[in-house]
Parts: sequence; C-alpha cells; structure tokens
Amino acid sequence: MMGNDLAKIKAQALSDFSKFIGPMKVRTMKAAGLDIIEHKREGVNVWDITGEKYIDCQTGSGIMNVGRRNPDIVEALKKALDTYDIGVFLLCSKPKADLAKKLAEITPGDLKCTIFGVGGGEANDAAIKIARGFTMKKEIIYTQRAYHGHTGFSLSAIGRDAYKEPFEPLMPGFIMVPFGDIEAIKKAITADTAAIILEPIQGEGGINIPPDDYLPQVRKLCDDHEILLILDEIQTGFARTGKMFASEHWGVVPDIMTVAKSLGGGIYPISATIFKEEIQDFFIPHPFIHLSTFGGSDLGCIVGMAVIDYIQKHDLAGHAEKMGIRFRTGLDALLKDYPSLLLEVRQSGLMIGLQYTNESIGPRMTKKLAERGVIAIYTGNDPSICRLMPPLVITPEEVDFVLNALAESMKELSGEAGLGKND
Amino acid sequence: MATSQEILEALADYQGQCNENKRLRKMQRDWSKLIHFVAEDTGDTFTMNVVKGEIVSFEAGANGAPDIIVTATSESLCDMFWGDLNPSQKYLAGEIKVKATQEDVIRLDAITMIIWPDV
Repeated sequence: MMGNDLAKIKAQALSDFSKFIGPMKVRTMKAAGLDIIEHKREGVNVWDITGEKYIDCQTGSGIMNVGRRNPDIVEALKKALDTYDIGVFLLCSKPKADLAKKLAEITPGDLKCTIFGVGGGEANDAAIKIARGFTMKKEIIYTQRAYHGHTGFSLSAIGRDAYKEPFEPLMPGFIMVPFGDIEAIKKAITADTAAIILEPIQGEGGINIPPDDYLPQVRKLCDDHEILLILDEIQTGFARTGKMFASEHWGVVPDIMTVAKSLGGGIYPISATIFKEEIQDFFIPHPFIHLSTFGGSDLGCIVGMAVIDYIQKHDLAGHAEKMGIRFRTGLDALLKDYPSLLLEVRQSGLMIGLQYTNESIGPRMTKKLAERGVIAIYTGNDPSICRLMPPLVITPEEVDFVLNALAESMKELSGEAGLGKND
Repeated sequence: MATSQEILEALADYQGQCNENKRLRKMQRDWSKLIHFVAEDTGDTFTMNVVKGEIVSFEAGANGAPDIIVTATSESLCDMFWGDLNPSQKYLAGEIKVKATQEDVIRLDAITMIIWPDV
C-alpha cells in the first residue's frame, strides 16, 4: 500500500476514534506527538500504521513484560483455541486450577488461594471486599498518590482527588495517609481497620520507592492489630523490578496480593486476587458471593501459565535487573549533564521514574521522545515524572537507543524557554 | 506584540464565546478557577474569574490568589483568546507555560476545542 493511502487510513481512523470514542483523547495525543495508530507489534516495538517504528516504554503501564506479541504466548493462545473457549464461570476447569496452583507456587510465603478477574481494578475490588468480609471491619487505609484502578472500591482507594471528585460520594470508610510514613498509618489505625492497601512501589504516583523499613513495619502493624495487608503488585509484579514480585525486595508477605497487567502477556486480559488459606474461610459459607463472568477465563488462564513459564524460563527477573543497571548508568550521566531538567531518577529494575524539575517538562519530553521513536509518557498522578516501563525483553542496544533519545531530547529542551522551576 | 487594550478586547470576545456556548457551560459547570494570564513580553497580567464554567469577570492586573497561571507572549495570548492557536500544541512546544494541574490544562484546551473545533 502506498504512503498516501496509509496516511488516509490513519487520518480516517483518528477521525472515527475522535467521533465515536473521544475527541479530547485524540486532541491531547496529537498535541503530544502520540497520535499513533498502533499497527504491527513485536518485542519492544510498535509500528504506527504509516510504518513509523517506536520503542514502547509505556506498555500500558506494564502490560507487556514478555514483549509485544511474544510468539510463545501467541502460540499458547492459538493452541488453546483448538479446545477451549472462555468457559462458564460457575463451572470448574483445569486451566483455572492450573493457574491458581502456579500462582500459589510463585507468590511469596503462604499465599495460596485465588479469585480471578479481568483487570486490576476488579482484582483490588475483590481484595477490599474480602478484607471487609473476612475481618467484619470496615475501614481501609490507603496512601496519597496511590493508584488501584477506576472501579468502585478501588476508586475509593486512589490517592488523587481528580479521579474521584466527579463521582462522589464514594465508598465510606477509606482513610488516606502519606506513602512511606509509618507514623501516619499508626495514627490512622482504629479498632475498625480492616486492611491497609499499598503498592510496594507506587506506579502512577511517580515510581515512589518507600524507605527500606516501611513495608516490614507495615507488616508488623498489621500483625499486631489483626489488619490485613493488601499489596497491589499489578505494575510491579512478574519480574518488573528484578524480582518476581516487588515485595520480595523487603521479604514481606501480604495477606492478599493482586496481580493483573502482565499476567495476560498483552494477549488476553486476566487478573488475580491471591490470598492466604485462612481467608478462604470467608468463602466457605459464601462460595458465590464474588463472581466474574469473564474473570479467569480458560483462555486467559492458559495465557497466564504461558507468561509465567516464559518469565521463569528466560529469567526475565535477572534480565530486568541487568538492563536496569544499564539504564541507570546512562541516566546518571543525564542527571549530571542536565540538572536544570532532571532532578532525580527513581528505579527498581525496569520500573523507572524520571523526576523532572517541573510539571511542564513531562509533557514536553513525551513529545520530543515520540519524535525520536520512543513512547514514554508522564505518570497519571504527576506530570513532572516520566515513567519508563519497557518490555523486560529489551536488549542492551535498545536500552542505548532509549538513552540516546532521552539525551537528544534533553539537549533540545535545554535550549528552549520556560524551564524555570516557577514556569 | 499586543497591547493591553488588544488583549482585553480579545478577552471580552473570549468571554462572550464561552458564556454563550451552552454545551461548554454545561460541560464546565463543575469548574471554578481564578486564572492569571501573564504576557511575558510586556509584563502585563490579566485576571479571569471562572465560576461554575461561567467567565464572570476579567480585568487587567494580578488580583487574588490564582489557581492557574498561564504565561505566553502577548501575541500568543491574543491568538488564544481569538481562537487562532491550539493551546495544547503551544503548551507542548513550550511557547505557552501553564502552572496548573493537568486536569486544568486539559480544561483550558477543551474550551478552545468546543468553541473552535478546527483549531
């Protein structure tokens, strides 16, 4: 097909997207240089329909740990379609049992039982429902800048007012505290506290890594007060930070862990709420109290198994750590070269946050990086922070490509106006 | 370079376009902000008061504690108020600086999109 034809197809797709899905989304993406019509996808790359190639460092905030359209995962789904469909959620199936068993094996400590869902919000909704149902207490402590999804209970635990205010009143009994502040949690605990929900490392909030003693202390508080600890590993899980789960960095085992995103390998949506066996007692008298029509579909479970097998077989955790070190070397040089732009780098494996010196830089860097073939978008809760979460299959050469794009973008931006801290 | 008087005339037109647009008023009815517009080349500042989506007043000078500060050349401010430029594009090019939340940046751009959809 000729270039002009592809350009016309793209223009029509953007026009239709604008008319039938949302004009402001198209307008905003266009202004940011990200009016990409995703077409071919492979490994770390995505191609616009016109043929422009990009390295995807956004990956839907960590969906693509095994790479885009990983052949092993695609093959697993194709093979599954010879026998399976979604399945009937009320019936038992081998793929569901297999994946639940596998999750019990790979998650830390004595996490054992699983409720499947479709997405991360649903997984956190289930976690909060379980916490309230099991403890018969009502209050949920969550953190500023937290992100747990846009559904009912999860939305109430988001630490950003802009996502919540139009939909108030939300669920009662949610108490927000600063992230990383153990004393604030101590003050917030009451006799009616059911659970504390945290991301081990905040993603949307700006790749915020807590002090080393934070999670162990939260665990102890939970134990002392018979409160459940919910760890949301939706962005941090499946080798993203150099361990299979980020909580392993601190040796902390939650009572409930939620996973989603990369469990589906970018191929099939699936999420899981994994909890300790004693919590299963809540479901003995209520086996049908939390159901999901499409959650834990047989096809999704087969994909999930293939994803975990791939991560383990190729030691993606170890690779993420190595590539993270390569990124860090380059980013440290940028910190030195561009102090007026880059304030801090926060990183765990291939979960990287670039803290710019002001809020205008995130959107502007997004545009400049897109012009250089890199998709990297500022975080939802803070535009002064750029999040880099490339597929974990990224090669050293591809890391260098991203670093070079960052360096060129910063060089160009440093010559432009409007970079003062007060701008 | 645009004079203070020219910017005030553009603001008057902008106010009329915003307040007369029923769709926009309904869309922005949960949005109340005090906005300062700073012309960086002339040093002039203008204050706009938006209450529940209605521009209730605008005036020369920096009055009150702003929720949003928009800084650009006097020409760019005029162009924005006349609907002759895309604020998001200029913002991402660094030609318009906005000190605000991302939600408010999008709200400002949405005004242009609704009144002048082709800009």
